[in-house]
Amino acid sequence: MLLFREGSREAFEELFSRHHRAVVRFAWRMTGDPSTAEDAAQEIFLRIARAAPTYLPTAKFTTWMYTVARRTTLNYLRDTKEDGETVPILPEGEGEGGVYPLQLPGPDDRNPEQVVWEAQLTERFRAALGELPEGHRAAFVLNRGDGLSYEEVAQVLGVTVQAVKTRIFRAREMLLSRLSNDLSA
Amino acid sequence: MDCRDIRESISACVDGEASPGEMASVREHLASCERCRVLERQMRAVGAGVRQVRRPVPDRFREEVFARLESEGALPKRKKVFPAAWRWAAVPLAAAAGLGLFLLTSREAVRGPAKPGPATARVGTSAPAPSPQGNGEAISAEDREMLVLLDILEDPVDLDANDDAEGMDLLAPGDPADSPNPPRGGRSGA
Repeated sequence: MLLFREGSREAFEELFSRHHRAVVRFAWRMTGDPSTAEDAAQEIFLRIARAAPTYLPTAKFTTWMYTVARRTTLNYLRDTKEDGETVPILPEGEGEGGVYPLQLPGPDDRNPEQVVWEAQLTERFRAALGELPEGHRAAFVLNRGDGLSYEEVAQVLGVTVQAVKTRIFRAREMLLSRLSNDLSA
Repeated sequence: MDCRDIRESISACVDGEASPGEMASVREHLASCERCRVLERQMRAVGAGVRQVRRPVPDRFREEVFARLESEGALPKRKKVFPAAWRWAAVPLAAAAGLGLFLLTSREAVRGPAKPGPATARVGTSAPAPSPQGNGEAISAEDREMLVLLDILEDPVDLDANDDAEGMDLLAPGDPADSPNPPRGGRSGA
């Protein structure tokens, strides 16, 4: 990024090659719509390029990149919501104190780790992911999908590590409540 | 510890983010709670599910991004490495060529118009040299013999002492006055 800031086009091309898959994937997991995800991912790279002159390496590049990515996808989700579509965006922290029902399977149920992620189940999972509050979804996707630590997720989302821990736990509970039949069938 | 209180710690354990104290509590709890053991496995499965949500990136994505970046002027122009390099290389190359041409022509000019007469040989050349007159005349057998003799007679020690030895022309038999650079050190010929 620093080389790009100094005017190296090749540096940006390298940056793009390294990260574009992760950015598109993140946008897809956050928006749940291929077209919106691609538009958002394009916008993310535009913002990265525009921000280059003022970029300061105060954190890992990927942390900064996901911060841009998350804000951009959030804007797209808000725009989509304003257009009348039903994309759930709950205020930050909503559900923090709520109780989510978790239907636990009986002791004879199959080990969920052995679940084969077939296309149908993946689609149901994606739909369930899309129903999570945006802040919970972002925390869960960044940690489990993109491999960021709680600390890094906290930096991206601008919250405390404890808040990240809680959001990820809540996200898990909500997903399990929607998918428990699939995971324990 | 109550199941309800330990679930968040189980989630953190699954992510490898629990503190040592939390991990010990979770381990202790799971050892005695079948429901939470199942929950722990489900939490792992749900985490793996996120990575299943993926799509291939369309081939056109890159072109579209770079087209937008270029239209906004947000991307530096691609450097044309070879043309630029050749342009810069052309200057010294042209200078060198010009200098070489100048040296060649000036050398010819200094030697004066071609006329039959003395043949010259480069010092250190063991083989007979062609006629430098540039008139295409072949060197006679007699001249060639004389040139070889000159090379043999040339004293290398003496030549080493002379800075211009490398470029010094030796006159072949003939009129010394024809030479534009009269030989130095008394070696004006055989």
